[in-house]
Amino acid sequence: MLTRRNAFKAAAGLAATATVGTAGVANAADKVIKIGLNMSFTGADAESAVRVANAAIMAFDDANSTGAIKGYKFEYVKFDDGTATAGQYDPAQAATNARKMVSDKAFVAALGPQMSGAGKAMAPILSEGNLAIITPSSTNPDITDPKFAAQYRPAGKAIYFRTVATDAFQGPNMANFMAKTLKIKSVYVLDDSGAYGVGIADAFQAQIEKNGVKVLGRDRLDPKAVDYAAVLTKIKALNPDALYFGGVGQAGVKLVKQSYEIVPNMIKAGGDGVYSTDILKGAGFPSFDNWYSTQASPHVTEEKGSEVFTTRFFQRFGSRPDDYAVTCYTAAQVIIQAAKDIVATGKEPTRDAMQAAIQNVSLKGSLIGTVEFDPNGDMKNKVISVFQVKKDAAKPLDDTESQFKYVGVAPMS
Amino acid sequence: MNATATAHPSAALTHQQRSLLLATLAFIFFTLLPQFWDNDGDLDSLANAMSYATLALGLNIVVGFAGLLDLGYAAFFAIGAYYYGIFTSFQVMPPWSESWAPLAYVGLVEKINQGGPDLVHFTLSFWIALPTGGLVAALFGVLFGLPVLRLRGDYLAIVTLGFGEIVQICARNLDWLTNGAAGLNGVQGPKLFGYRFGVHAEPYYYVGLVLVAFLVFVSFRLRGSRIGRAWMAIREDETAASAMGVNLVHYKLLAFAMGAAFAGMTGVFFIAKLQTATPEMFNSAVSSMLLVMVVLGGMGSVWGVVIGAVLLQMMQTWFLPQMSVWLHDIGKMTGSPMLQNVDMVQWTQLIFGVILVLMMLFRREGLVPAVRKVAPLTMEQQTAHVVRGGFQGLDKIGRWTPGTGVALDIKDVVVKFGGLVALNKVSLQVPEGGVVAVIGPNGSGKSTLFNVITGLVAADSGSITFQGVELLGLAPHRVLENGVARTFQNIRLFSNLTVLENVLIGEHARLTTGPFGAVIRPPSVLKEESRATEWAMNIIALFGNRLTPRWDQPVTALSYANRRRVEIARAIASRPKILLLDEPTAGMNPAESLELAEQIKSLHDLGLTILLIEHKLDVVTRLADNVIVLDHGDKIAEGLPDVVRKDEEVLRAYLGRAGGH
Amino acid sequence: MTAGDILLQQAINGLSLGAMYSLLALGFTLVYGIMELINFAHFNVFMVGSMIAMLVLQAFGLSGQQTILTGLPLIGVLLVGFIVSMVGCGLIGVLIERFLLRPLRNVKGPAAMITTIGVSYILFNLVLLTLGTDSKNFPNPLPPIKWEIGGAVLRLREVLIWVIALALMGGLTYFVTYTKLGKAMRATAQDPEAARMMGVEVDRVVMSAFFLGSALAGASGMIFGLYYNLAKVDIGFAAGLRAFTAAVLGGIGNVPGAMLGGVLIGLIESGSGQVIGAAWTDVVIFGILVLVLVFRPAGLLGRLAPNKS
Repeated sequence: MLTRRNAFKAAAGLAATATVGTAGVANAADKVIKIGLNMSFTGADAESAVRVANAAIMAFDDANSTGAIKGYKFEYVKFDDGTATAGQYDPAQAATNARKMVSDKAFVAALGPQMSGAGKAMAPILSEGNLAIITPSSTNPDITDPKFAAQYRPAGKAIYFRTVATDAFQGPNMANFMAKTLKIKSVYVLDDSGAYGVGIADAFQAQIEKNGVKVLGRDRLDPKAVDYAAVLTKIKALNPDALYFGGVGQAGVKLVKQSYEIVPNMIKAGGDGVYSTDILKGAGFPSFDNWYSTQASPHVTEEKGSEVFTTRFFQRFGSRPDDYAVTCYTAAQVIIQAAKDIVATGKEPTRDAMQAAIQNVSLKGSLIGTVEFDPNGDMKNKVISVFQVKKDAAKPLDDTESQFKYVGVAPMS
Repeated sequence: MNATATAHPSAALTHQQRSLLLATLAFIFFTLLPQFWDNDGDLDSLANAMSYATLALGLNIVVGFAGLLDLGYAAFFAIGAYYYGIFTSFQVMPPWSESWAPLAYVGLVEKINQGGPDLVHFTLSFWIALPTGGLVAALFGVLFGLPVLRLRGDYLAIVTLGFGEIVQICARNLDWLTNGAAGLNGVQGPKLFGYRFGVHAEPYYYVGLVLVAFLVFVSFRLRGSRIGRAWMAIREDETAASAMGVNLVHYKLLAFAMGAAFAGMTGVFFIAKLQTATPEMFNSAVSSMLLVMVVLGGMGSVWGVVIGAVLLQMMQTWFLPQMSVWLHDIGKMTGSPMLQNVDMVQWTQLIFGVILVLMMLFRREGLVPAVRKVAPLTMEQQTAHVVRGGFQGLDKIGRWTPGTGVALDIKDVVVKFGGLVALNKVSLQVPEGGVVAVIGPNGSGKSTLFNVITGLVAADSGSITFQGVELLGLAPHRVLENGVARTFQNIRLFSNLTVLENVLIGEHARLTTGPFGAVIRPPSVLKEESRATEWAMNIIALFGNRLTPRWDQPVTALSYANRRRVEIARAIASRPKILLLDEPTAGMNPAESLELAEQIKSLHDLGLTILLIEHKLDVVTRLADNVIVLDHGDKIAEGLPDVVRKDEEVLRAYLGRAGGH
Repeated sequence: MTAGDILLQQAINGLSLGAMYSLLALGFTLVYGIMELINFAHFNVFMVGSMIAMLVLQAFGLSGQQTILTGLPLIGVLLVGFIVSMVGCGLIGVLIERFLLRPLRNVKGPAAMITTIGVSYILFNLVLLTLGTDSKNFPNPLPPIKWEIGGAVLRLREVLIWVIALALMGGLTYFVTYTKLGKAMRATAQDPEAARMMGVEVDRVVMSAFFLGSALAGASGMIFGLYYNLAKVDIGFAAGLRAFTAAVLGGIGNVPGAMLGGVLIGLIESGSGQVIGAAWTDVVIFGILVLVLVFRPAGLLGRLAPNKS
């Protein structure tokens, strides 16, 4: 039975590499650096999971084919933390995956998860196994908050790293931007009941009140409900200067459409959750025109590297990368850089070595700028960029790169 | 089933021994498994499967045993989960005061200081939380059940769906209590004698295994008890169950609470293992998935639902990913890009749907049916000589000692259905130890009369007393408790139960075993059960060898006449003081009718009071002391059989003959 | 906006929602009335209806809200959209009834209900696997005409929804009250055995109920799309659950009850969004449902059938 299990793992790895098409120059004698990719391939986030995983696959295949680390090659195994039972990510399955990775000594680092709910279940297990994981998109601050260190890193060392800023920065910085640059005097705050949406909206609300802006109300949308007219009518009657929405596309599409009908002229803004292909496609223009959104990374899209990435990604996978594909590509680059650093000193890239190397990594010139981590695993660089939707009919209407115009950096508190 | 097995230790015991042996082997196998299979991830996966198995066992009590379709069962899972999560984390921290000191002394809380005033930190032990989590969930089960369990089954389905949503909405929006969508932080894992469970799967695996074993045991004990029989009676036929003395509201609530308790305990276990809880973990997809598990395994089948749960969990986490890999390989070999990219896991829910539909169309009893096949009777048993005449072995059931005077006294009873008057000021009396027959054409109100006596239909006015007790306004099961038992015109047996089980349900009101007794089975319960079985077998034996060889067969396998006999046996088993027989000989041939008439007469000879609806005038003449004639809700005649037979008005109404010929 | 404007606007919102819920609730109630079966497949027949309608409109070359039509072309496109989605859904309903539910007609217990849950799953996942989970931009050719009434806004699409819903409900009421098949339906609902003896072909009646109910779901799918400019695979559950609640609230099996229930649920939803908070809407709706059922177990307009024992 043991052999069957191993066969399954080998086959899974093979299948993952099979999607590559061309084998790299890595030769068969190369030692393997095994990476787990934990995403929600089943359920509501499946499409985004595939995009994110593809970005990592691209990075590792590049490293293998260019022979980035002499004598080593990367191998990745996909883990699905989504289940049909949950209809989306399932923390129980995420914990199972974490245990699977930890009990197989070959795994030295991991990428994922997409969702903080899964991250909370995985972190304690990964900590005990000292297996570092880099998340491209889970932004709930609790997991890296030193206050909860006993819970999420019981073994002490930081193992949960992020190539994305937590909600603790995105919300407040946008609040500063709206108060200082847009000079709003009153705002209504909505969230989509999700962990991300509630977190970012809470942080936004706390900071905007500090800026002396009046919060006229706060409401929570049910992402499964279809009609937000009631709450939008209520907002219309209160007539705030702006509407801030913490949330993602599921509720976002409906909110964008209906708010255009009911409060067309209000300033509307959201976090990186509304910087989304889904909303461009599902709501489109004119509904989405003029919405503000943020990105938890410095803006480098005008630079060449990003364009090259986008084009290559599109050519290979037939879809456009979204924001988290970029952060996941970067996360994979961090792992590659960390392994490179270890091998350069003549050591083996073991788990412990990888954890230490990721903690001390300095990745320069990535798509999101320089990546370095603080002792909790958060990025030192916490630049929040502000964008606004401006229709560019000449470019594809569902392409975030073309339809979101860079406005500037949101001021830190 | 234990008791029946001891009563007739032929085929049943070996069957029971076999399943016990299998269960023991399975338990030993799973106990030893971690010794030669040390992958933590796989053990964790198995522990998850065990959680689903315990949830499915709980849902099986509600849906499988009691037949109540609960579509929001995950609500109770959530309640248990949050109960443990909240009382072991730093989520709720009231200010410390000395009144907390006793709780701190027993270790339920501790005083902490995070800068600022002292706070209370709940430190509930897992081992206390496990049983109390079950209790808390059961409490909510009663709370949710009370307003809705009186509704008909279909409404229940939709209201439970609503409760499932409500609990999830509360978990998502009561941030102070649950930390909302962000999920609970800092939930503690269990400790046992200083050993911390930590994050490794193995200790949780063992707890899960013991939990499954325990709940399987509880399920079997309940199923084979007075409680389980009452649930199954409700599932098969609510009306008949209540007429046989089962308190519907009480037993439905009990099923709801018991199912909830299983889910609550699972919730505690699940969250202790996961050490976080988010509202999405308890959404309606979980409830539906559990339903699929129960349906696949077999509604009402204890082993079935466990197997169903494990199969589906394995399908999701092992088989479908594996299959994707195979398809990818085939795709690579054949150069098909479609096969290379197929992800079978995304097909899971589609497969669930197909399973539900196919099971319902082709195998409703599930993979492991609850009702096991019984060997058909041997030729010898089938053709055995049938003793005619009165009942056999009456000496074993004792005598009735009727008092004197009027037993049942019906006065001016009026029943209206909308504009239709079904009974119009009907009065009649049944003397102690007498046999009274009610006759009349179809639609004359005879069955309505029985229904109003037994509490199935409310009267608009009038009074019905039995031995001085007013019956009007009593629930059907209370009427039975007062000694009034009945049969139905269109036989209402509990179809999927055996002859013996049907008769045992008749005894329901005369037994006292409660849920705890049923599970623990102390000597008093064992004694009661074996006495009850003996009594039931004696009643079955009254019909000679018509029923006795068939005691272990489901009643659906019986002939029409035999089903009538079982229904009468079920009524007699309740030790009635008056027996209400609604057309007992309908559908029987003349010989059988005569035989039954003799048997009823022998009951009468023992002193039992009888009220009878009957069409066959020869039967009436043979049995009745007094005959009442109803027509269109009016009593049109009363008297001795021979007198009534010649009454002009009766002839006109009942026999449709024009008068004066 | 004054308090009066808010009230008026929320009433407009609530009535539009209510119109949709009513149409959906009618499908539940028709089937329940005749077969005493909660048809969970109805949730996703509705969703499939909105997908069909979207595909039809896209086939006319409409995309998003870019193309506005007026006059005859508009009426023509809408008519074709409604007819195709209604007939399409009606046929799905008939197929479900004929092949999956008819074999279970005489089976006691929840077998048929569980089958409909399974069918619901199948429909949902077939759409999910073929069209994806993302929100679709439902084409809307309606001109953006609106009228200001004080501070409240009434849009053309709202008026249109009310008119179409009323017309369909009127048609249904006429059908059930005056046509032969409709009378046969009511007879079957009251007493299937007696109806059969009086020569009613029960199979035909049941099938017609499924066709009509599903066709109404198709119509509400189209209306839903036109109202929200949205089609998505998961709309069936939320809308279906509320519509079903509406049917129970009004008295399941009762045609005017379903209409009343739908409108009430719509109004409750917009009222609770205004007063209590959008996140609690389902709690309010189910709370009211439970209260109504406790005090009027047969629903607002329903009548308890005499116990048939």
